[in-house]
Amino acid sequence: MKKSLIFLSVLLFACTSVFANGTQESAEKEEVVLEWWTWDADLKDKNQEIIAQYEADHPNVKINNTIVSTKEYWTKIRILANQNKLPDVFTMSSGSLEEWAENGLVLDDYINSDNTREVFYNDMLEAVKGVSNTDHYYALPFALVTTPLYYNKDAFDAAGISYPDSDWTWAEFKEAAKKLTVDNDNDGKTDQYGFWFYGRYAHVEPWVYANGGRLLNKDTMRFAPDAAGLEALEMLAGLVDDGYAPAQKDMSSVRQQDVFPMGMAAMWIDGSWNIDNNRKVADPSMNWGITRVPAGPSADVSYTYAWTDSYSIAPNTKNPKEAWEFTKFVAGDGASLDMYLAGKIPAFKALTESDEFSDASQLPAEMNVLIEQAGSPMRTSFTKGWSEWRGYGAAEALGFNGLIDGVTNGEMTLEEALAKGEKSINTVLARYYK
Amino acid sequence: MKNRKLSWHGRFTPWLFLFPTIVGLIAFRLIPIVWAFVLSFNQWSLLGNPKFVGLLNYIEAFHTETFIQTLFNTIEFSVIYVIGSIVFGLILAVLINVKAKSIPFFRAVIYLPVVTSAVAVGIVWNWILGPNVGLLSTILESMSISAPYWLGDPKLALQTVAGVQVWKMAGYSMILFLAGLQGISAQTIEAAICDGANSVQRFFRVVLPMLAPTVFFVLTVAIIDSFKNFELIYAMTKGGPQNSTNTLVYDVYLNAFVYYRVGYASAVAFVLLIFVGLLTIMNFYIRRNWARPLD
Repeated sequence: MKKSLIFLSVLLFACTSVFANGTQESAEKEEVVLEWWTWDADLKDKNQEIIAQYEADHPNVKINNTIVSTKEYWTKIRILANQNKLPDVFTMSSGSLEEWAENGLVLDDYINSDNTREVFYNDMLEAVKGVSNTDHYYALPFALVTTPLYYNKDAFDAAGISYPDSDWTWAEFKEAAKKLTVDNDNDGKTDQYGFWFYGRYAHVEPWVYANGGRLLNKDTMRFAPDAAGLEALEMLAGLVDDGYAPAQKDMSSVRQQDVFPMGMAAMWIDGSWNIDNNRKVADPSMNWGITRVPAGPSADVSYTYAWTDSYSIAPNTKNPKEAWEFTKFVAGDGASLDMYLAGKIPAFKALTESDEFSDASQLPAEMNVLIEQAGSPMRTSFTKGWSEWRGYGAAEALGFNGLIDGVTNGEMTLEEALAKGEKSINTVLARYYK
Repeated sequence: MKNRKLSWHGRFTPWLFLFPTIVGLIAFRLIPIVWAFVLSFNQWSLLGNPKFVGLLNYIEAFHTETFIQTLFNTIEFSVIYVIGSIVFGLILAVLINVKAKSIPFFRAVIYLPVVTSAVAVGIVWNWILGPNVGLLSTILESMSISAPYWLGDPKLALQTVAGVQVWKMAGYSMILFLAGLQGISAQTIEAAICDGANSVQRFFRVVLPMLAPTVFFVLTVAIIDSFKNFELIYAMTKGGPQNSTNTLVYDVYLNAFVYYRVGYASAVAFVLLIFVGLLTIMNFYIRRNWARPLD
């Protein structure tokens, strides 16, 4: 009897300890590991800070950050998607969103839940939806870039012209470009162009959209610039013909983002993140500012060319809820301004509306222009196959970019370029849009 | 069984030593080649699954104007590069094949571009050749010669890039020629001198024929190298202006890693493979029949 009692109690003890172990194990199993992929190596330490902060508040969540440079990022992430091994949270660009939407996780319920719409800019959320070419949200934006007009205030002063404002017309712009084109030593060579551009997307499309135009027909998804779009392209080609802007080949030995801050051209349009480069490259004594791209003569509505950087969540993630929570944190409460290149506009309202964002101690003085642009109608032209037909990155000398360069370099007329473009660009688009 | 002590190995020992190479060859060369061949009959963006399309990729390639242009660009680049690196390599080797104190210095200097990164070379040459502010333009203009747009003119860009590649790689063929030149015995040259041959005759009648095996070796290497032009084109022209410097290798890169048309890129890669293959067979044939060492 005594023996059997001892046996029973031992059994009981063994059982309780097993069960206790069991519950302990299940508590440990609740630990969630999230993979987070980004592409900006400069933010390595900052990302670790965010992770530490997040993990402190969420002891059961562990986050691994992998940084892959942009050159390899898309290849790697595509292969991971192919093998159903996508990281839980990963950086997404507007240019890729449409193609990825077919493979992404719909975030509608999350975005419509809790306070997401209050703390993030709605326009940016809508921009992400728009560029995906669907009725759903496939990413949470963390930044917006717009395309302002950069202008050299010193050059304007020297030419005796008043600074541009938001009411500037194209005629006034052209007149200014003329006066700002200067040959200092009278050697027949322009030392400062009034304006400069080449076939780059961020140089050309802002004019098309500011005139209310389009390059693509949205219904047929074919290259077919409308009248307003053509007007913009003709205006640009005219600037080169008149000598107020250089041919592409004349500026080819300078990094494109350095032409304006080095004072070789008095006006320029490109992505707002170039504010950072301007601050670094321009002579500290150079006074420069930004304003909106002048609205075109045909514009009922002057659209801003702007697009977002965002985070997507893997469709096969085991922890969608935790992944969303973390995504919202890195794009929102966890983010800080020093993670953004000067000129990128955080999607998280509290950051953008802070005094630090306007940073009165640095140029340009008109940072509010960016916020104004972010709150106005926006347009983009990203499609599937965009890098190829538009000519982007390693294909920059080809595609539509190459054709516009052909026009400014005097190899073909705008008409010829458009005819060529219609053929080659539509061949690309026809592969993706039947 | 004289060498009994030495025959410690069995029949499979050589395979043991060959094993790592064979595994590497199969895993990193043969399997990818076969897989790429299969892919060339598919459409694949890396995102979904490959879709079989038969010969469509090949048909598309040969029906695209720019692809045909790319094909001719590739040939033109190769011809310029092969001739350039043989001629300049030989000239440099002859110049440097003398006994002087400063020779090792010059050898090193001429060889330096070979080991310099192609991207760095491309960036520096972009500055030298750049319009208006470039070094060469400035020098030419100081002599009242208007400099052409070396890289901005579609008629000139390919020759310019190929020329820079020749500049970069001439040192390599120089070293090969130098080895060949130093293999020619001094007695042969002396004999020619005794027979009254002048220096031009000595070079063309004695040195060059004796260099034939080296020339064909350099030719083979140069032909293979001539297709490896991706980095320089990427750094200097990105295939432009107007597709004038786009080559098969660059096109493969663009299609595979910028447009994510992996199937089409594989088809282009196979066109390149056939191209290189034919040239190699031709090369072997020439070598077997004409390039026998004189001694």
